[in-house]
Amino acid sequence: MSKIEDALNKARATRKNAGSGELRAVHDRSNVRDLIPGSNNDSYEINHNTSSKEIALIDNGEILDNKKLSELKVIYSEMKDHKVANSYRDLRTKLIQKSQGRNFIAMVTSCVPGTDSSTTALNLSTAFSFDKSKTSLLIDCNLNSSRLDAILGLDADVGLTDYLENEDITVEDILKKTGIKRLKMIPAGTARETSTEYFTSLKMRKLIADLLSRYSDRYIFIDSPPIAESADTRILVELCDFVLLVVPYGKATKSRIKDAAEAIGEDKLLGVVFNDIPKFPRLRIPGFSTS
Amino acid sequence: MRLPFEELLKVLLGEVYARRNAVLTMFVFISLIMLAVGTVWPKKYTASAIILADDSNILQPLMQGTAEATHVTDYAANATEIILGEKIMGKILHDAEWMKANPTELEQAKIKEQIKKRVKISNLGNNLLKIEYEDSDPTRAYVTAKRMAELFIDEGEKSKTKESQAAYDFIERQVNEYLAKLTKVEEELRKFRSNNPDSRVGLEADVSNRISRLQTDIEQAKMALREALIKKDSLQEQLSGEAAITISQSREGQYRSKIADLQTKLETLRLDYKETYPDIIRLKHQIEDLKQAMQEEVHQREEARNVAKNSGKPYIDEAIILNPLYQQLRSDASATETQIMTLKARISEMNKMLETQYDRARKIHDNEAALSKLTRNYQVNQEIYQDLLRRRERARVSKSLDQENQGLTFKIQEPAKIPLLPTGLRFMHFALAGLVLGMVIPIGLIYVMLQIDPRIRFSKIISDDLGLPVLAEINQITSYSEERSEKINNIILSIVFLLVISVYAYISWLKFTGQL
Repeated sequence: MSKIEDALNKARATRKNAGSGELRAVHDRSNVRDLIPGSNNDSYEINHNTSSKEIALIDNGEILDNKKLSELKVIYSEMKDHKVANSYRDLRTKLIQKSQGRNFIAMVTSCVPGTDSSTTALNLSTAFSFDKSKTSLLIDCNLNSSRLDAILGLDADVGLTDYLENEDITVEDILKKTGIKRLKMIPAGTARETSTEYFTSLKMRKLIADLLSRYSDRYIFIDSPPIAESADTRILVELCDFVLLVVPYGKATKSRIKDAAEAIGEDKLLGVVFNDIPKFPRLRIPGFSTS
Repeated sequence: MRLPFEELLKVLLGEVYARRNAVLTMFVFISLIMLAVGTVWPKKYTASAIILADDSNILQPLMQGTAEATHVTDYAANATEIILGEKIMGKILHDAEWMKANPTELEQAKIKEQIKKRVKISNLGNNLLKIEYEDSDPTRAYVTAKRMAELFIDEGEKSKTKESQAAYDFIERQVNEYLAKLTKVEEELRKFRSNNPDSRVGLEADVSNRISRLQTDIEQAKMALREALIKKDSLQEQLSGEAAITISQSREGQYRSKIADLQTKLETLRLDYKETYPDIIRLKHQIEDLKQAMQEEVHQREEARNVAKNSGKPYIDEAIILNPLYQQLRSDASATETQIMTLKARISEMNKMLETQYDRARKIHDNEAALSKLTRNYQVNQEIYQDLLRRRERARVSKSLDQENQGLTFKIQEPAKIPLLPTGLRFMHFALAGLVLGMVIPIGLIYVMLQIDPRIRFSKIISDDLGLPVLAEINQITSYSEERSEKINNIILSIVFLLVISVYAYISWLKFTGQL
């Protein structure tokens, strides 16, 4: 507990140093959050109304330039192919509408084993971070085949599993800068054994509740392994507000999608993200457009 | 589910673009292969001639029934027989300059077979005949088609003339045969007639007429004979009852009748007069005188009779005259006698004649059978002969019709022309097909793949079929470096495409200018 507090305090101190206001207000939504004991909640000082100014002052570390982002296939606002960015923006808008303006924790999973949802999760969280009044956090739960830190070129010395295992590691320790403004990330971590146990632990629940309630404008995305091949994902579903199912173009059969949807469950599954659609560049056919 | 066309096209284009390298590779292969095939594909030139089989000429209605126009119905089949026959093929081989290379017999046969395969003879409508010939050399195609048409017409006319000539010859032979038969029968008939001069038609009737007439005559003669015999009997009877001489007709008789006469007168006078009446006295005297004269007469006659009796000389009493009735009867009887004799002779004569006629009739019956046989033969032969003569005349007309080409005639309606453009599949077809197929085949394959691949490519299927809301449809993200390599790739592809097109243009140019 003290460690978390320490971490929180540290963060608070940093923010205060940067001229941020006091953290206040209580988070009262989400079943995950209900798990957190009231005493704990009270002990936090959480700022639910972080201003854009404050967010702007967050240390984003070394910011990746557009060229780098492009190579990483991460969207950025000045993208030449603004269609993709716009698609993510639209998706963001839809999600915010669904959550009625509150922040949420959403899981992104693929329905096809062997395909990962990491890029989608990364881009979706990036899309949230486009908004200067919002921050986003990406948690990599691909414990066995983590790709995100590799994509972002993170030096992932500690991660989620380390945090869950090791009492000494604080949340601050695992919150990594991504090089993308307003987007932080928790890498999967180094210890990768019996992963299921990690996610069922109370600590995991508490972490998520904590992360969610700390900033009301922080949107959390969990990148999880394909649901069909991972028990972790099923457990993680419980922890999330909703699930986005990634259906890669030309890879999933109907039955597979159906199975994945059933595994997620109707109440959690918000919808499908159909991605990886090949495009035909700049084609104009009179009468209808290819967009 | 049915997808909207727009959706399908979008996905198809995306897939095609994603597989552009493979698509272009296929395009290059297909189009270049087709181009190559088109380049080496042999050119084929077709020359055709159209022949009009005119079987309805002006003469037909005029000659109806008199001459049989030669009829041909399936011109194409007949023409094929004739044209592909050895005779015409041999000439074609010569005229189309196949023989220049001095082919052997076997080669010639092979060439003929090839030519036969490339000839197409078809009916165009009722009486048009099309002869088509296909060859890699336009001039040869033209010459072959032309010569085929000409030779066919020649041959057709010849064979037609031959046919009618044959028909005429046949009928002519038949005519001669029957003429010989007829002559033979006539000769037999003549011999028979000369052997049996009286055997002619109607002789039997004649004979039977004569027989019946003879029979009637005999009957009549017999009747007359019977009459004559009866007459003779009655005359004999009368003769026997009649005195051969009559006394009353002697002088004595005259006196007596005078006396009787006078006596009558005297009686009459006595009625009125006395005996003394001079007339009575005179009459008495006269009577007395007459009585005296009469006695003298009797006496004289007695005396003469005695003298004659004594001298043995026939006594001719002048007072005795022959009885005329007796005389009459006697002459009648003798005449009847003569008649009887005549009739008898006649009857026997006629009986003899009847016998002869009977003999003749019998003979005639025998002859009649032989004659009627001969006559029948003669008549039959003559009928056939005459019919054949008529037929021969018709055949003669038919023959001359054919010789004048007035029956079924073949005319070249459209002569063969030198084909300027090759027919059938040409380079251009292959080239165009190469370009089109080069594009259509890979795109078609992708389309088929889209249709049968169960993996989902349409968000509509997710939302409609599975009922899952599709929150976003996100295109592939292309990084700078990818974009660059894509650009390079596209430039290469464009160059390859342009190269193919240039190759096409170049080969087409060579083809067009005839350098290839």
